Amino acid sequence: MNPEFIESNAGVRSQGGIKWQQPQSFFIENDHHLQNMFTSGINIVKPDPGMDDSWAGLDAGAYGYQLGCGDHMFLHGNLTSVSVSPRKRKADKGQTLQVVSEKEKKIKRCSDGDSKITRQNSSNNNSNSNNSSKDKSKVSKVQKPDYIHVRARRGQATDSHSLAERVRREKISDRMKFLQDLVPGCNKITGKAGMLDEIINYVQSLQKQVEFLSMKLATVNPELDFNIDNAFTREMFESSTSEFPALACSSTNSAYFDQLNSLDQVVSYSGLDMGINSSEMGLRRSISAPVSVPEAFMDSSCFNQIQPTATWDADLQNLYKVEFEQGTLIPFQSHQFTGSNEASNLKMET
Amino acid sequence: MHTSSKLKSEFIKKWVKGLQICCSSKKNMDFLERKKKIKLCADIALACAKNSTSWSIALISEAKKHDENKTLVDNLLRPESQIKPQKTNHQMCASHKRVRSKKILKKSHHVCQRMKKMGPPKSNIATYIAKRLVKKRTQVLKRLVPGGESMDEFSLIEEALDYILSLKVQVDVMRTLANATEVLNQSDSSIFD
Repeated sequence: MNPEFIESNAGVRSQGGIKWQQPQSFFIENDHHLQNMFTSGINIVKPDPGMDDSWAGLDAGAYGYQLGCGDHMFLHGNLTSVSVSPRKRKADKGQTLQVVSEKEKKIKRCSDGDSKITRQNSSNNNSNSNNSSKDKSKVSKVQKPDYIHVRARRGQATDSHSLAERVRREKISDRMKFLQDLVPGCNKITGKAGMLDEIINYVQSLQKQVEFLSMKLATVNPELDFNIDNAFTREMFESSTSEFPALACSSTNSAYFDQLNSLDQVVSYSGLDMGINSSEMGLRRSISAPVSVPEAFMDSSCFNQIQPTATWDADLQNLYKVEFEQGTLIPFQSHQFTGSNEASNLKMET
Repeated sequence: MHTSSKLKSEFIKKWVKGLQICCSSKKNMDFLERKKKIKLCADIALACAKNSTSWSIALISEAKKHDENKTLVDNLLRPESQIKPQKTNHQMCASHKRVRSKKILKKSHHVCQRMKKMGPPKSNIATYIAKRLVKKRTQVLKRLVPGGESMDEFSLIEEALDYILSLKVQVDVMRTLANATEVLNQSDSSIFD
């Protein structure tokens, strides 16, 4: 059905659903009125008269627009220009479209074509003419299990197939719009094939990324031992949304695990930078015995309990005490903490 | 996003659980095997975390076909396993029927197309080309999205949407983990130097 291509050019685009404005004004009697509508339509379309690309740039899903009572006539008139668009979808079985498709796509001739069509419409015995006169009445279409009430547009075939087709296409275009937001770089492309192309590329790239990352994890991890405490990792992700409580938790966590770490590695406290968090994660991973005492995280008193058992240098211990007593998070670099890229990730927190 | 962080935590939990199950079975695995296991665990964990979508169900049922994965899948599914099997069966039946009816449709469609091939291309060759393009691409997309073979166009796009979102989550999590372990290894090695 061609009419769907036209609207976005006019900058009018209806969002989802089957919205029909001014339902009572479907039926247009006089040709004069018709011509008026049509000229208004022409003015809108004129900026890009015969450019296939512009039509290609139309949103394939642009359907129903509310231009007023001249809707269908406008649609109908534009059928001529759209008919040769490369994005044109399934041709309407109605006779009018066949007539239309043979015409040129110049706008000037649209009016002629349109008036011819209307005359044909009125004279023909086919379903189109019959239905155009019935257009002001609602046409309900039963579709599968749920009932979607669809109103037939003027000049279009109102048999159940085309109506169902149109509804289906509108649904698809709805979803395409969502996808446009999701897939990066899809804003400019508005044809169905182009959009599908982008989607395919994006899905393929994401899948390849998963492959690559799993390979990386396999190399980085000689044994598949991910002794990552789930509670902590969950916290890590949640902490990106809620800053302050997580800070306190993470400080106690790191202290706690530092005590247990036989490597005497000093953990630097930081904010929620992923680099630091990951190093903390990594530290916990290096702990031989998987420790899972989530409740201890929250208990700052555990720090005092563990302290005597720590294998710290005296000054480091004091430093720790000082830090915790102050209750601030200070990035902590000791001589033991040999430079790696985490150093750059340290943050000063007050 | 709130939902995505929830999904992330679910995914991590299941993934780690799955990996623990995996590595408890075999001790020494070579690089490729490890990679496969990691990826498999990640995929299944993601599918289990996202329970109600058709692609995840398809992925899980696909994985269940191989016996070696069965325990893994069942363990990961355990909280929801009461609901899942019926849905899986039903979905599979539905997809079967859809596949069959699609085949019939395709046959008739081919016949129609052959008859049509005489006429329209002369006048509407642009349409014809455009339609062919779209059709080819939907076919490719159907192959990409798990379980997409038996979906009609509309649900295919919906599933693709959902699949993209979950893939993003998966990539995010895996990347973070990879960076973390990399950083750890670096700091470890530099300390020992």
